[in-house]
Amino acid sequence: MNKITSIILAGICFIIPVLAQQSEQDYSTAQPGVRFALLHIYLDSGNRDLAAYQFELKAAAGQIKIVGVEGGQHKAFKEAPYYDPAALANDRIIIAAFSTGGDLPKGRTRIATIHLQIAGDAEPQYELKLTVAGNAEAKEIPAEITFEKGE
Amino acid sequence: MRIPSKLSADLKALFEPQVGVPPEVDRAVMDRAHKHFAPLQSGKGRRLRVHWSWRIAAAAAVVIFAFSLDLTKQTGPATDRFSLSETQATDIDQNGRVDILDAFKLAKHIESTGPAETEWDINGDGLIDRSDVDVVALAAVRLDKEVL
Repeated sequence: MNKITSIILAGICFIIPVLAQQSEQDYSTAQPGVRFALLHIYLDSGNRDLAAYQFELKAAAGQIKIVGVEGGQHKAFKEAPYYDPAALANDRIIIAAFSTGGDLPKGRTRIATIHLQIAGDAEPQYELKLTVAGNAEAKEIPAEITFEKGE
Repeated sequence: MRIPSKLSADLKALFEPQVGVPPEVDRAVMDRAHKHFAPLQSGKGRRLRVHWSWRIAAAAAVVIFAFSLDLTKQTGPATDRFSLSETQATDIDQNGRVDILDAFKLAKHIESTGPAETEWDINGDGLIDRSDVDVVALAAVRLDKEVL
């Protein structure tokens, strides 16, 4: 009898955490109308070298959650940029990066890619604002920031 | 060896219990003992033990489940960078705003190995290095900037 009780207890110990985790995962992926999307951020610094940037993105409409951030296409910004980890699972993020290397991008370049979780069928609207862009001398330069939606 | 009958009678008188337990009393005691322990031997007693085992198992399951909720709760993203609450960002270029250019200037300065300002030791570890740059950069991207 004691052996059976021990087996049952041991089974409960193993099964309950697994089931709890499983149900949590099921809940997060089984919500209706949830999809994932990418947002590619581009910065055009014209004919100037781009050595640093900082921008802010937030959802103006729709239900989004930021779930990840990737670096850019040029090797100067290939590494994951700086951002506040609190921005993950949020709808607002400030992203920044710099490069002290000699090889810097010019013109239009993809500086970051943001991974989003979108809830509902409504197409989200984004508000993107360039805080600052800098050249190799750490001087502020004019630049234009844009985004493209990806899948 | 023969024991004299008088000696035998004397010894018997000496070691024989003075008050004997009557067989009726002995039986009554034994009956009460059997009645008291009878449920534990019977099927009802076993059911009681099984019943309590299940109660204990259920209580254990509830406790384990409560703990498992905490264990499976998703924690926030881990970072090996500094806790911003423990440090204070510095406006390196002193333009009244902490942004990535402050971190960039500090990084350039460290790479150029020029004379460093002591106040640039942002994390207070006695060194002016990349970790100080990280603190300034993280201060720049912090979502709640009211402390800056």
